[in-house]
Parts: sequence; C-alpha cells; structure tokens
Amino acid sequence: MTAGPSLGGSSQLVIAPMLIVLVTAVATLLLGRRPRARAAVSLGGGAAYAVAVAAIDWYVVLAPNAPGVATYQVGDWPAPFGITLVADGLSAFMLTMVAVLGVASLVFSTRHLPGGEGRSYYFPLFHFLALGVTGAFLTGDLFNLFVWFEVMLMASYVFVAYSGGPQHTRAAFWYVTLNLLASAVFLLAVGGIYATTGTLNMADLAQRLAEPAAYGLEPAPVIGLFGLLLSVFAIKAGLVPFQFWIPTAYRAAPPQITALLAGATKKVGIYAIIRLSFTVFAGAEIGVDLALPGPVAIDSTLSFVGAALFLMAGASILVGGIGAVGRDSMEGVFAYSSIGQVGFIAVPVAIAATVTGPDLRQLAIVAALVYALNHTLAKGLLFLAVGTVRSATGTSSFDGLGGLAKHSPPLAIAVFVASLALVGIPPLSGFFGKFLVFDAAARAGAGPVIVLLLVGSLLTIAYATRLWNRCFWGAQTPAVEAAAIDRVQVGVLVALAATILAVGVGFEPVYEFATAAAEAALDTEGYVEAVDPVGPAELADSSANGGDH
Amino acid sequence: MTAVVLAATIGALFALGTFLLLRRDLIRVVWGLAIVSQAANLYLLAMGGIAPATAESVPVLAGHGEDVPTTADPVVQALVLTAIVIGFGMTAFALVLSYRVYEEHDTLDVSELSDRE
Repeated sequence: MTAGPSLGGSSQLVIAPMLIVLVTAVATLLLGRRPRARAAVSLGGGAAYAVAVAAIDWYVVLAPNAPGVATYQVGDWPAPFGITLVADGLSAFMLTMVAVLGVASLVFSTRHLPGGEGRSYYFPLFHFLALGVTGAFLTGDLFNLFVWFEVMLMASYVFVAYSGGPQHTRAAFWYVTLNLLASAVFLLAVGGIYATTGTLNMADLAQRLAEPAAYGLEPAPVIGLFGLLLSVFAIKAGLVPFQFWIPTAYRAAPPQITALLAGATKKVGIYAIIRLSFTVFAGAEIGVDLALPGPVAIDSTLSFVGAALFLMAGASILVGGIGAVGRDSMEGVFAYSSIGQVGFIAVPVAIAATVTGPDLRQLAIVAALVYALNHTLAKGLLFLAVGTVRSATGTSSFDGLGGLAKHSPPLAIAVFVASLALVGIPPLSGFFGKFLVFDAAARAGAGPVIVLLLVGSLLTIAYATRLWNRCFWGAQTPAVEAAAIDRVQVGVLVALAATILAVGVGFEPVYEFATAAAEAALDTEGYVEAVDPVGPAELADSSANGGDH
Repeated sequence: MTAVVLAATIGALFALGTFLLLRRDLIRVVWGLAIVSQAANLYLLAMGGIAPATAESVPVLAGHGEDVPTTADPVVQALVLTAIVIGFGMTAFALVLSYRVYEEHDTLDVSELSDRE
C-alpha cells in the first residue's frame, strides 16, 4: 500500500522533512536554557531539513527515470481513509524555496535574536512554523491542510506578538482575529465539500469531481465552496481585498520572521490555490452558466478562479505599488511591495485558469512559480537586510538613515541586487520571472493585463529607487556612522544575493524544475494514480466479503 | 423538522458571533470568535447527515456487543473533535493576548486603542 512508484526508499522520504523539523522543534524546546546548544541543534536541524528536501528534489523529480510523484500513507491506511502525504514536482519546488530561505534566516537568527522575554522560545517556534509550512505543502488531504495551516498560524501569531511592545500586541490581536475567522470559513468549506462529495482526500476528490455521474454527486455547490476556500487562501497570500493585515503584522514580527512570512507562509496560500484549482478541482464542471455581467462565463471551478484572481491580482498590484511609494520606513515599503508582488504571482495563475490550451496553461504556471521563487529570494533578502540595519542602527525609518552604501558596501550591494531582481533586470532571477509573466499575458492576448503589469513594474522602479536614494545614498546620519554591522548577517545577505544571481545566470535547470512542477500541478491523473484511492467498486467488494458491518 | 431547527440554530449562532465581532470591546470580539467557530463546528457536524432518533438508532440502546446501527457519519465527528481542540487553543491564546492588550494600554476599547497610534 505504501508502494510509491519504484525507488525503494522514496515513499519514506516524503515524511522525512516533517519528522526532521518536528524533532528539531522538540529538541530546541528541551534545550531552552542552553543558548549555544539550542542554536547548534537548530542549525543542524535546518541543514538536515535542507538535505531531506534536496533528496526529495532529486529522487522524486529531477533524477533520470524519477517517478515524479511519491506518496506516503500514514499508518499504512489505504488512501481515502488515512492521511496521505504526497510529494510531487509542485510540492518539491515550494519546499526548496522554503528550505533555502529557512536556512538563511536560521543562520541570520543565530547572530541576532530579537529581544523580548521569550528568547528561549524563538527556535522552537521557528521550527513549528516550518513544520506547518512543510505539512501544508506535503499533505494530500483537505482537512489535514486545515490542521497544518493552524500549526503554521499558531507559531506566526506568537511571532507577531513576540517583540511585546504595545503596537505589536495590538497588531497581533487583529492578525489573530482575522485568521481565526478565516479558519472558521475554512472549516465551513471543508464541511460543505465533504457533504457534497463524500471525501476529503484530494486525489479521491479529483477523481470524483471529474466523473460526478459515476459517483452520483451533484458538483454545483462545489464552486461556491471553492469560493470560500479561495478567500481563505487569499488571506494567507495577502491578496487585495484581504491585504490590510500585512503592513502592521510585518512591522510587528522580527525581521527574520517577516522574511519567512513573506517568503514561505505567503507561498502556502499560492501553493494551495494552484494545487486545489488545477490538480483537484479542475475537473468540476457545473453545467450551468452563472450569468454574471460582463464577458466572463463561469461554468467551471477554473473559470471562477480565473475571474476572481484577475480582479484580486490586479487590485493587489495597484494597491501594493502605490502604497509602497508612499511609505517612510524600509519594512513599510517592503510590506506593501510584498502585496504588489503577490499580484504578479497571481496574474499568471489567473491566466492559466482562464486559457484552455494546455501548453499556454503550463507556461503560465511556470511563470507564476518562477516569479514566486524570485519573490522568495529577493524579498527574503530585503527583510533580512531590514533586520541587519535595524540591529546595527536601531532604526529603519528613512529619516534616521542615509549613506548606508558608503558605510557598508557589501550590505548595499546585496540590497541593490535584490532591488534589481524585484524590478526585473537581467541577468537576475527577477528578469526571467517578469519575462515569463509578460510572455504568458501576451500569448493569452490579454491587453489590459499587460498595461496593468507595466504600471506595476513602473511603480516597483519608483519605490525601489526612492528607498535606495533615502537610505543608501546621501550623507551619513549619526545613527549610521555609529553602526556596527554584523559580518555574519551581511554574509547571509551576500549569499542570498549570489543565489539570486546564480538562478538568473544558470536559469536552465531552474526552468526545468519549474516546468516539472507545473506539469505535476496539471497532471491530475498522475496524482490520482500515485495516491491510488480505493474506488467505489473495490469498496463494494470489501463490504461484500464481510469486512464491514 | 430537526434539520430546520438545526439550520436556524447555526444561522442564529453565526449572526450572534458576527454581531459580537463588530463590538468595540475586545473581550466581546473574543466571544464572537468563539461563537463563530462553534457555529462552524456545529455546521460541520450537521454535514454528516441527520438520522431521526429512535431506540434502534442509538448504538447503546440497540444492543450491547451486537451489530451497531448506522446513525451518522463518524468522519465528521472526528473532524469536529480536531476542530474543537484547535479552536479551544486559539481562543485561549486570543484571551491571553487581550489581557496583554489591557495591561499595555489600560483599555479594551478598540476606538481608544486606535486613537493612541
């Protein structure tokens, strides 16, 4: 039953990253009173996690004759009854992004732990956050996805309240309130989908929705329930109109955690949208046309996702870009920029949901994934840079900063590279992300979308230039002159900048990986086959044999 | 009949929860969250289907150790159990957080909180 397609160890490999991160979390909790041992165990766990993710990348996706999908049925229960973990190209791609950023953020954290009473809980929380993210990427079960979301959120709640100032507590309260509401909505959607389709296993769901008649279901309610799910994931991804929590929460959390919130938990929202829209709910045709005003015909889950995402992504690009131009602190600019950049990731997803040609659909998903990778690397670097600047100078507002470029050239170069990657200058990773997004929009013939993307790009140039001029050029302020910038932290930033450059220069393998991920996202049949849920005929057999009362 | 009463109850809980969520007092907001999540749990439980209650449909009454009659879908009950535990933890956290807000700001009134920017 655990027979993953070939490769003896590949099925156990799927659960490895989760186990590693769980053990590390517990170990760091036990070592709470010994800071050095705690940091060492933490780093070791992070490295082991990266190795496990690299092993999944290689054995499941990239190696010659790799199976493409590997599954692990927890407790050896067959598919629709037990919890299934699935690692395929899409999960592997997302996990890789998180592993790279997570390790960078961990190394950064060993040099400068944010202050506050809860220092000894920093590393355990860090690993629980990573556990939630990893679980969400690997699970093949809708309710289990809800549980991993809660694990991830619980850790992030504490981090937003972590620094313990009055503003932080208030930001955390609204962040918690919003996400608890979202959890209730998530539960509603899960319950409705279970009542409609009779299953929560994603592969089983995909199978049933593709042939509703064979299973005797009426798929029409699914589209509305998917609307609820989409709003939950849009909150996690921070798409307009669910973006309002981002600026305060990102300002309140410690910078190295904000890097993870922007680089990893945001991607969980994007991942869930891609996975559920294309792998699971793609087959759901409702047979009636919801007559909406305008040229959009909504007759399937995908066309609904396309229409909704276009609106949300377009608004995100504008709101994020315009908001970022007007901010007066580094993390304020990056938080709003993060809203805009997620719009750039969601636009190609919307294009993929709207077009019908398989090649163009795949290209659009590749564009979204490459852009997401660029965003994770660049925005992760920039938020970590905020941490460096703040721990060295004690401020991150434009008024207190100036002349950083002269004071610390390596820091300035790293931030410069990441800013150029956000803007999309070759040969950095951002160039290919942006190029592919424009390419997908052009091939889909979406003229207004291209105009929107151009406006968004111009806004990116505007706020990146403004930040650079205010913080890095000009005369050094007293705070900058007195700053002692930590070398290890700058080392992490430079390493991330080198990664951004490396992804851009050696783009071919990254593109292949992203293509494999997009293929996996679109290959519903392969996914179902790998998970192999028990069909209705086999069920009838087993009860006829007296296996059931 | 049962279904109508249950639907009305769930609807009333959601209405009450939403009403409390929109209050200015933080403790009421936490109450609102708790009630909304309980309403969601009740809804989830109802998704398992409602069987009319008779002596035969209750497992304990139908006979000890014999075949158990099918009453409702046990999967949703397992799901609700998990959801209740998670909701319980989250509500506790929200309460602690609002106490912290009270300690730091000396008020639980939302409008006073936002005045002090």
